[in-house]
Amino acid sequence: MSAEIELVGTFAEEEECVHAVDALKRNGIAFRVFSPIPSEHLLHAIGRGLSPVRAFVLIGGIAGVLTGIAVTVGTSWEWNLVVGGKPVVSWPPFIIIMFELMILFGGLSAAASFFLFAHLPQLDPIPGYSERFGADRFGIAVACEEADSAKIEALMREAGAEEIAHEDPRARTLEAH
Amino acid sequence: MAAAIEPINTNPTYADIDRGVHRIMAPPGLLFWAWIGFCATLVAIAAALWTRQIYEGLGVTGLRQPTMWAVYITNFVFWVGIAHSGTLISAILYLFRTRWRTAVYRAAETMTLFAVATAGLFPLIHLGRVWNAYWLLPYPNERYLQPNFRSPLVWDAFAVSTYLTISATFLVMGLIPDVANARDVAKGWRKIFYSILSFGWRGTDEQWRHFQMMYLLLAGLATPLVISVHSVVSWDFAMAQLPGWHSTIFAPYFVAGAILSGVAMVLTLLIPMRRLLNLKEFITPWHLDNLAKVILLTSLVVSYSYITETFMTWYGQDQYEVVTFQMRYFGPYGPLFWLMVWGNCVLPLALFSPRIRRSTIPLFIITIFVNIGMWLERFVIFAGSLTTNFIPSQWGFYRPSITEIMITVGSFAWFLMLFSLFTRYLPIISMTELKEGIRWLRQSLRDDYYPGIR
Repeated sequence: MSAEIELVGTFAEEEECVHAVDALKRNGIAFRVFSPIPSEHLLHAIGRGLSPVRAFVLIGGIAGVLTGIAVTVGTSWEWNLVVGGKPVVSWPPFIIIMFELMILFGGLSAAASFFLFAHLPQLDPIPGYSERFGADRFGIAVACEEADSAKIEALMREAGAEEIAHEDPRARTLEAH
Repeated sequence: MAAAIEPINTNPTYADIDRGVHRIMAPPGLLFWAWIGFCATLVAIAAALWTRQIYEGLGVTGLRQPTMWAVYITNFVFWVGIAHSGTLISAILYLFRTRWRTAVYRAAETMTLFAVATAGLFPLIHLGRVWNAYWLLPYPNERYLQPNFRSPLVWDAFAVSTYLTISATFLVMGLIPDVANARDVAKGWRKIFYSILSFGWRGTDEQWRHFQMMYLLLAGLATPLVISVHSVVSWDFAMAQLPGWHSTIFAPYFVAGAILSGVAMVLTLLIPMRRLLNLKEFITPWHLDNLAKVILLTSLVVSYSYITETFMTWYGQDQYEVVTFQMRYFGPYGPLFWLMVWGNCVLPLALFSPRIRRSTIPLFIITIFVNIGMWLERFVIFAGSLTTNFIPSQWGFYRPSITEIMITVGSFAWFLMLFSLFTRYLPIISMTELKEGIRWLRQSLRDDYYPGIR
């Protein structure tokens, strides 16, 4: 069995990166993409579906409404004083509190679930990352057997990769230690 | 000899955008620190006067019966209003995928955060016993006393604190990819600072996938929030029975006014910033023109609200309401009212001219007058209505004391100081979004105006 290596293709243009993603997907090759911009085209090409962050936002929003009900109704029962002949539990003004807490909890759930699913904070370096991928270049990292590297390299070059680097994951692991 | 004018790069690349933004974040010079020192001095004076007010009581202000809400509450509503355009530009225009927002939204969003942070100080400053501020929040206590959730002041505490939290979250989340970019080129303490703030972001497809969903949903949540917050602020007044306050149109009227003042403040900040930091390659006449159009539109809505308010008073013929409005137009605060009309309704009509919308100096002057006009609008509504209440024997005249004046000046200094510091230490222009819409930026630089049309 040949050793595992990491191929990192660098692309100057978003379109070229999209072509490479399409080619790799057609050949059933797993990869990781780095992008300096939030590219809809790339995400569409990668096709991993919608983020589960939205479910957490929904749960957070519902929790906010329930907290709003608990806080307003609960404290009204506790401080049980009729003001201006209005019912102790007056729904219309309470809806404002429920609404604000729905937004608050939903927003905080969005941030928290983003950190959870994006694995942030990330203290260890991500294999294949280069500073250029945060600036002006797109990157695709593929972990593969050395024997398959020529085929993958050809796919990426054909799509328009301007540079392909071979990285040894073991070397990086040793370096990190 | 005049310095040679550098030609504008009309075809910027991703690298040019990075270079331009990194240049702004370079260590600032002595002049910048002198400016920060000046602002900090004003803030210190305001803090000293507030300390004196806490020690001696609200008697050091000009607040007397019947005018117990005046400059402090005007400042509160003014700063909350200023915050609104930030969310409009960053969230609402994001949902509409508006092309011109990319270069200006970070500055607007930053302005939002610091404006809400400034606004939040005023209810505290206005409290005679500031140490009891936490009584607004529900918490278990031995007296079984709880806030009255039917009170607009309690709604306000929830709305403004939610707004502060969500706008801070929105700003910090949006900063992550840009700060990661800055981290990769920074050295020394900045590298550590940016590494912490970027949370180890590397821009992988998985990170972007979750980021985009999170950002979209935050924008979706911030949009109704921004409308609700200023509506709730307006109900602080509209729910009261006072003539001049008790009005059903206050919520939309205040929201439009908030956007008007906020967008004017964005331009008041962007125009000097564009010149001082040499941002002409990123903030083009196209951006200024579109912001000016928002001012024009909201100015027309606000003008319509003023007319409607007057019509309703005339049509209703409620004697108290009629007298309040007569006093508003021709009473002791009359000159302030007409200056407000000039700043909010008349002068912005000049923005029908495309030439003025694209000329920085006239635009800057108009935005200053809009800011003054919007501050006066709140003052005239709050202080003016309170001085002429139901009982003529109670009528009075409010004049702010030096404490209120200097605390107001200090709040502007506090806001400008925070904004200036942000500008030099964090990316005030979103590199990622500017790169994403680079073709529109290029087109706006080439055509100078209206990309895609000419």
